[in-house]
Amino acid sequence: MVETLEQVPVAEDLFRWSGDGADLVGTRCRGCGAHYFPKSLSCRNPQCEHKAVEEVLMGRRGRLHSYTVQSYRPPALFRMEPWAPYAIGLVELPNGLRVMGMLTGCALFDIRIDMPLELTVEPLYRDESGRDVMTYKFQPTAEGTA
Amino acid sequence: MRPVYVLGVGAHPWGKFPQKPQLQLAIEALSAALTDARLGWRDLQGLVAASSRFEGGMGWGLHANEVLQAVAESGVPAVNVGGGCAAGGIAVHTAAAMVASGECEVIAALGAERMPKGFIPRPPGCPDDITDTDYLRWVTMGATNPVYWALEARRRMHEFGTTAETFAKASVLMHHNAIANPRARYRAECSVEDVLHSPTVSDPLHLLEICAVSDGAAAVILGSEEQARRLGVPKVAVAGSAVATGQFGDPAVRIPTVSTTVGASAPHTSEVAGAVRHALDRAGMGPGDIDFVELADNTAWHVLAWPEFFGFLEPGQSDWMIEHGQMGIDGKLPVNPSGGFLSFGEATTAQGVLQVCELAWQLRQQAHGRQVPGAKVGLSAVLGLGANGASVVLKA
Ligand SMILES: [Zn+2]
Repeated sequence: MVETLEQVPVAEDLFRWSGDGADLVGTRCRGCGAHYFPKSLSCRNPQCEHKAVEEVLMGRRGRLHSYTVQSYRPPALFRMEPWAPYAIGLVELPNGLRVMGMLTGCALFDIRIDMPLELTVEPLYRDESGRDVMTYKFQPTAEGTA
Repeated sequence: MRPVYVLGVGAHPWGKFPQKPQLQLAIEALSAALTDARLGWRDLQGLVAASSRFEGGMGWGLHANEVLQAVAESGVPAVNVGGGCAAGGIAVHTAAAMVASGECEVIAALGAERMPKGFIPRPPGCPDDITDTDYLRWVTMGATNPVYWALEARRRMHEFGTTAETFAKASVLMHHNAIANPRARYRAECSVEDVLHSPTVSDPLHLLEICAVSDGAAAVILGSEEQARRLGVPKVAVAGSAVATGQFGDPAVRIPTVSTTVGASAPHTSEVAGAVRHALDRAGMGPGDIDFVELADNTAWHVLAWPEFFGFLEPGQSDWMIEHGQMGIDGKLPVNPSGGFLSFGEATTAQGVLQVCELAWQLRQQAHGRQVPGAKVGLSAVLGLGANGASVVLKA
């Protein structure tokens, strides 16, 4: 008998994933078209009087704007097991948003600014109920830029 | 609006003082500033305090009313201002406005802080969901504050070819300036090698390129021209001051958010850029009129980037300035002759008040061992959590 491992997101309503790939859940202003992540209450553009936002999926592809390698283990609210130094990237999306997220699928010394990336979802740790707790990450893609 | 003058300044040394309550730090700084102004507690007609969230009376941190009730129950107005680490600058600006409007003849602005050990905890009552980005940044990726600054530093290296050595030199300069400053916490010379051999916290930033947290307190007494003349204190005027908030499209990813909507129109670190621009406008000055700056150097990256963001230097020019000693006390644009946050450690809400104290000491030619020669005009710039910025221009 094969046991199906349960996977839960590290935070609800932040990203979605399936066999087809992963998406970030954000909002887009119905008036001016500005995008926000995570979901926003309102549009923040001071020139926009519409303000109403709708949920949109985004972030499948992007380009690395900058990155850093975390050498120290962050405080306990962050769980990652086993822990090892890891990279956090700032990723520019085609809709004008820049989003921070962990980088994966790339040796730390191979990370290059402007490299094309795609969204993925990976486990951070296994919780006390035996479920894998998942977060969104960006990984290099061989196919051109977004 | 009438002119506003600095009547006195005072600060408690920065460091760790586990035996001293925050209130005592506050009272000592305020007492020093009153003595400097040749005034007594009975002369204060108002008190504006930068509210800390970490400690103090009624659950919202240090507040002006608590200080007055502890040391002078005079019935004068107490104003408490928030704004994260910018609160000190906001307090000075608010106090200046209360003198300029004619409401007060003599008023004090105050900041005092005892910082918690280690990582700063989230405030109580925050939701554990996507509506709280401070929660998200931790659980999704463990983004510490240095991560945000490191992303900026790495990008600068990409755009301008800034080297690890240049970042290190900025930190070396801050530590060098502090050697003669009796209120600085770290007063030892350090070398580029020391900086580069200190542990890498968030690549490319090393431990000695990131400010620590400290306890400290500072106070500024402001008053009318008549009071300045009557007291015979050195004439230092508040030429301009401003408070600002972040602008839509600012490319800075703000702590503790996890994204930014980038637009073409907003300057980087727009809450501080906006405050600096308005403070200069109100002073009727431009960046070229400023003899030195005191800015919030949470990291070595800030020392390089901020003078460029705020129009004092061209983008990428800071590297040359650092390499040629031009940000030093005798340079073209002295940056943080006090030694800055890197030498003091950050006592959050007190920091913006301390910056204004340093401006005054410099303009009165009292900054012994770190005096900017012939300094006539100085500008402070400070950033606070939640997209708050403040800037003060003093003129001798
Ligand atoms: Zn809009």
